[in-house]
Amino acid sequence: MSFEEQVDDIEANTLLGGQPFFSRAGGKIFIIWLVFTVVGVLIGAYAPHHLLPGLLSSEGGDVWATVVVFTVLAAPVAAFVYAVGFYSLIAWRHRSDDPDVPPPDGAPQRGNGPVTVLWLSISTFLVVVLLFWGITVWSAQQTTHPNTLQVNVTGQQWVWTYSYPGTGVETRTLELPLNRPVQFNITSVDVTHGFWPAALGVQVDANPGEVTVIRTTPNKLGSFIVQCSQLCGLYHAFMNNQAAVVTSQQFDSWLQTHGATSSAANTDADISSGASTTAMNK
Amino acid sequence: MTTAVAPPLLEDTNLGPKAGGFYRHQTIWTGLGFGIFLGFVAWLVSHALLQGSNWGSDMVVTCTMVGWVLGFNIGMGTFNAPIRWMLGHDQTHEDELYAAGVGQGRYRYLKFCTDHKVVGTQYLILVMVLFGVGGTLAMMIRTQLITPHSSFLDPQTYNAIVTIHGMVMIIATIIMVSGPFANFIMPIMIGAKDMAFPRLNAMSFWVVASAVPCLLATFVLGGVNAGWTTYAPLSVQAPPAMDAFAITIIVFVVSVTIAGVNTIVTVVTMRAKGMTMGRLPIFTWGAVIGSALGLYAMPAFLAVMTMMITDRVTGTSFFVPQVGGAAWLYENIFWIMGHPEVYVILIPPVAAVLEIASTFARKPVFGYKVAVAGFVAIAALSIMVWAHHMFTTGWAPNLAAPFMLTTELISIPTGIIFLCTIGTMWKGSIWMRLPMWFVYLFIWNFIIGGVTGIYLSDVPADQFFHGDMFVTAHFHYTLLGGAMIGATAAVCYWFPKVSGRMLNERIGKVAFWMIAIGIQVTYFGMFWEGFQGMARRIAYYNPHYEAANQMATAGAYLLMAGWLVFLYMMISSWRHGKLAPANPWFAKTLEWKVPTPVPLENFLVDPVVTSDPYTWGEDVPDGQGIPESAPEPEPELVPAGQAGTSEPVDGGTV
Repeated sequence: MSFEEQVDDIEANTLLGGQPFFSRAGGKIFIIWLVFTVVGVLIGAYAPHHLLPGLLSSEGGDVWATVVVFTVLAAPVAAFVYAVGFYSLIAWRHRSDDPDVPPPDGAPQRGNGPVTVLWLSISTFLVVVLLFWGITVWSAQQTTHPNTLQVNVTGQQWVWTYSYPGTGVETRTLELPLNRPVQFNITSVDVTHGFWPAALGVQVDANPGEVTVIRTTPNKLGSFIVQCSQLCGLYHAFMNNQAAVVTSQQFDSWLQTHGATSSAANTDADISSGASTTAMNK
Repeated sequence: MTTAVAPPLLEDTNLGPKAGGFYRHQTIWTGLGFGIFLGFVAWLVSHALLQGSNWGSDMVVTCTMVGWVLGFNIGMGTFNAPIRWMLGHDQTHEDELYAAGVGQGRYRYLKFCTDHKVVGTQYLILVMVLFGVGGTLAMMIRTQLITPHSSFLDPQTYNAIVTIHGMVMIIATIIMVSGPFANFIMPIMIGAKDMAFPRLNAMSFWVVASAVPCLLATFVLGGVNAGWTTYAPLSVQAPPAMDAFAITIIVFVVSVTIAGVNTIVTVVTMRAKGMTMGRLPIFTWGAVIGSALGLYAMPAFLAVMTMMITDRVTGTSFFVPQVGGAAWLYENIFWIMGHPEVYVILIPPVAAVLEIASTFARKPVFGYKVAVAGFVAIAALSIMVWAHHMFTTGWAPNLAAPFMLTTELISIPTGIIFLCTIGTMWKGSIWMRLPMWFVYLFIWNFIIGGVTGIYLSDVPADQFFHGDMFVTAHFHYTLLGGAMIGATAAVCYWFPKVSGRMLNERIGKVAFWMIAIGIQVTYFGMFWEGFQGMARRIAYYNPHYEAANQMATAGAYLLMAGWLVFLYMMISSWRHGKLAPANPWFAKTLEWKVPTPVPLENFLVDPVVTSDPYTWGEDVPDGQGIPESAPEPEPELVPAGQAGTSEPVDGGTV
């Protein structure tokens, strides 16, 4: 046996269980893999853009980018599993007239070291990339900015109340000025709620007895909905309110109008908290 | 197995009229009767003493439920043997045979029966009943969500249904493989005559069976309105149904713990000669690792629910922030149970999928040791990832990065399991019988479940998706599309051994396609809802999400119809199906080498194990066979049944 033949022999026996690497099966699986990968990447690139709600902040943009990047990274791996699965279902399926007769045995292949190591290396590499992406984006979101607008958010069954410290404004609708960093200080007076302004791409629970903090910077004008994301009792589904990102001039005039009527809002809050106490069982 | 030297079947033993002692009088009817009686007595006493006090109704419900569970199990005979030992009587051999069901025919399925095959079948029926209940509740949820403001259910009922759907399905999926198949099949696979602790085995079943009525009683006790996670402090304020819920969990954990210990001890101590740990069928490894992980995870559930009950009944305020408790404490203990629990559900069916893939690809499991290492790595990592359920609670923001790391690391061993599955199919000679269809469906679904999981492991993306229908779709893809479809493959695979009859695969194929398409339509509808930003667990929604919800509901109806067809196939095949040969799949593991129906104590002649069961395509004699006849009496000091004393025989059953 010549040296080349020996090399061929070793390759054939170590890689795909006695078959040359680019066998016919390998080529066809490669094509199926390519098609699945392209489909996956296209879905990743287009679907989030069309499905996600209008995202009005840089954190919202991070959500979109993360979905796209992760889909693109995962698509080749998922596509490979699907390609082998589909190919085996079509090409290696044993067809016989009598379904009760078993096919002959397959190859006595108990494993394949190089393929396993390759698979492990690729998945480890991908995990490192995912982690690097996640930590980079997350730490960028943690930075604090000067001139941050403080908004105190209080959850109770089943309304959100927003107050803007220093202005005396307390409302049931949330308005935020464009391009100004905002910090939400969130708490609850009864049970755990989830403060979820989905369009801003941030979320944190409102916990009784604790103040939790999230920061975001609205960078687009638009209206959105704040929902409660933590099952909080009877009218959980109705615990949502309108919110909007407006220009800073509109925001200032909004603050002035609501500063005048905030005492009315307070009365409202008392009534509804009384109602929720009766609705609770104890 | 008709050979000259084979001993007579134990089933044919003629027991004396007193064999079994008190067991003779105990069936499910005495269990029900005594359970209701003791529950009523507990209600009467606690009501008389406590009603009107501050925590009265909670205490009354708790006492009633404990009374029912104890009464039912006393009535069933769960505690007979220990009580007899305490009174100084031992169980005779005849008593043990009676307890194993000898001479009771089909009636033994309604009794406290120590035969592992009876217990396995009982578990299978219970799991199907639970899936029926959980599925019906799911249909009610989906019906409510057809229109944005449906009046089909009121919000309190809706919340109660969401909660019980979740908990019923969690209980059913935890026991769906480790109950029926780790009990019925696994001991035969390793060449054992029964589980290590047959009485504890029967106890684990009747204890979990007695917990189910407590869970369903929540509907008449006001309903648990806090979701299956029952986050405090909402659950501390919930109606008395919450006490029944907590008792259910405590009783369930007792059952799972007993069953888990039993599985592990069986595999460690009861293997046939020659069945080394390295020769175990891969499913056995999955059952052991899943049980071991359950032993780690489930006690946390017991602890947290005990604290919940004391909070509600005695005012301890572990979880009530207003009086010094901590809601995050509840969430932490809950998820320390909750995430490993996901893998308690997943690992056994995934291992079964590998077993089935090997049989129907006529190939050895690809990377057997790597797959076992993968399961161990998944189990080990899964105990360190719980806080990814708490990324958006505000608890310990500094731990976001470490928990992101551990969560994403789990995708490496999970990927290895995928490699082993497709590696097993690689260049196989694929025999497309019904179980194999479900194996392919498992691969398809579990990839989608896995890929959508990585978005949720990323904190910035999770800030959008948490508490959103995207999460619901994701974990249904893993737990229904992955684990439950894997378990369905297992049902189809082992049905001929369990029931003695073949499934009607023509009907099965119809069910398969309805289920396969139903899952994709339902959960792609939910992904769509999730991307649009619809919160979970809401009874009413913004009309903006209507199209996506209608898609999900249509898919859910198709899915349920598929399961009903599947159920019809199972029942009709069980009653009138073609009789199954001992080894219809020509598989190599030991459970296929014993006759069908499997005799009591499984092996009339001890099996001979000289290799693992994955000798497909290798020109060697079958390493896991049962000799035609018992070996000759051997010289002293040589254990009976050792390899080499008789010829190993392939498929040595008639």
